[in-house]
Amino acid sequence: MNNLIKKFFFFLKKIGSVFFEIFSSIGEIVLFFFNSVRYLFTGQFYTKIFFLQLIKIGYNSLPVVGLTSIFTGMVLALQSYTGFSRFSAESAIPNVVVLSITRELAPVLAGLMVAGRSGAAIAAEIGTMKVTEQIDALKTLSTNPYNYLVIPRVFAGVISLPILVFIGDIIGVLGGYLICTQVLNFNPVVYLQNTYNFVQFLDVFSGLVKAFVFGFIITFMGCYYGFNAKGGAQGVGMSTTYSVVSSSILILLMNYILTSLFFNL
Amino acid sequence: MRKVKIRIKNLSKNFGDKVVLKNLNLDIYESESLAIIGESGTGKSVLTKCIDGLEDYDSGIISYENIDNIRNLNTQKKNEYLGKFGILFQNAALLDSLTVEENLKFCKKDNFKKILNDVALPESLLNEYPNNLSIGVQKRIGLARAILKSPEILILDEPTTGLDPIIGKQINSLIKKLVKEKKITTITVTHDMQSVYEFSDYTAFIKKGSISWYGKSNEIKKKGNKSLLNFINGLY
Ligand SMILES: Nc1ncnc2c1ncn2[C@@H]1O[C@H](COP(=O)(O)OP(=O)(O)OP(=O)(O)O)[C@@H](O)[C@H]1O
Ligand SMILES: [Mg+2]
Repeated sequence: MNNLIKKFFFFLKKIGSVFFEIFSSIGEIVLFFFNSVRYLFTGQFYTKIFFLQLIKIGYNSLPVVGLTSIFTGMVLALQSYTGFSRFSAESAIPNVVVLSITRELAPVLAGLMVAGRSGAAIAAEIGTMKVTEQIDALKTLSTNPYNYLVIPRVFAGVISLPILVFIGDIIGVLGGYLICTQVLNFNPVVYLQNTYNFVQFLDVFSGLVKAFVFGFIITFMGCYYGFNAKGGAQGVGMSTTYSVVSSSILILLMNYILTSLFFNL
Repeated sequence: MRKVKIRIKNLSKNFGDKVVLKNLNLDIYESESLAIIGESGTGKSVLTKCIDGLEDYDSGIISYENIDNIRNLNTQKKNEYLGKFGILFQNAALLDSLTVEENLKFCKKDNFKKILNDVALPESLLNEYPNNLSIGVQKRIGLARAILKSPEILILDEPTTGLDPIIGKQINSLIKKLVKEKKITTITVTHDMQSVYEFSDYTAFIKKGSISWYGKSNEIKKKGNKSLLNFINGLY
């Protein structure tokens, strides 16, 4: 009996410690955020690093985002044809394609791809700097690591992602257009006209707002987990994994929240 | 007349359950050169990081001039304090995304070429990236970076480890010149007794997380306690 009570308390303790860890890491993330904001206004802005990151996060992600978008557009056209042809609603395909791409698929897929690509790279780079004492060295060189590492990356993220997604929108629609005109024998002019007449400002805009938020999540979480890397190569590996997993989850969560906000507009 | 610059009282530092420093007392005097020696893993590097503020400690006091306890400084004050130090890290810690030139220019834009000569490196290295260089070369660049800052206090974590005897000797005389001519307060962690005898006025021997012996470097052989003498003679 005594043993059972002990086990019960042990169990409670375990649950408690899990919650404690969740809350303390949320606290740390919030603190990290406030520090970044504070130093954004009080510290130096490293323009050169910002542009370098713009190339790394934005420009270099173009192929991945482009490929994802074109295939998504193509698949979307084929799948909706399968469904819509059953009740002769094929003419709605351009609308479905452009709506799904701009509002949903381009931002989310680009976000997830860039999280895997750039978020991981940021966490690995900063994590390595952390465990090899390069961040300590920065501090002794009177350089604030938030200003030098975090702020340029986050800025590059929130600017790149909307641009990437906008390009992804166009390529995605193009993918649907290619399938419909080349495979399904749609009239090209009608397809484009349908698309153009149907799409609204809010469709594209809501996608770009999502992209902005995702850009923040990816770069910020990458930096946060990099800064908190411990130990050697193994620790860097773990922080990379955490950064990708947590930013992917946050992207899906924020996507739902933002979608429901825009749904009510 | 010796003047205390940094006073360490009852310093303790643990990592989880592992006790690294335990009630350590040590004074660091202005314009003097102090060597810290001791077995691998006794906490020499950790001690230097407590001194310069990169690592928090669990209890005790580190005071510097009019700062009572550096642990109580706010972030901004702490960064200012940290800025007084020029630090050569044990693993050099050069910024690996930057070339050697950019690393050296990081805190001082001019005059950085002259220093290469002092640390016995050719100018052709300037465009290399740190990862392509041997650790001996990296450490000399790290040393150059620490000196270039013209710091108030110099912390050198094993400046001659990884160097061949000839370059090691050259680096020792370079540090000696800095210490004797510029009178920079210097803390050197080392396993190289050459560094101890050549440019360290005083020596602190750490054992089991506290200072086991402290005294003039040139009196080690005469006055050193048994564990220190065994240590430098490689006996157990
Ligand atoms: N971040 C850390 N987390 C956990 N333990 C640590 C950490 N840093 C140092 N230690 C431990 O503290 C002890 C002292 O380490 P330190 O690097 O100061 O040794 P050292 O005296 O400089 O040795 P060496 O001469 O080999 O450089 C070691 O046992 C080490 O494992
Ligand atoms: Mg060490």
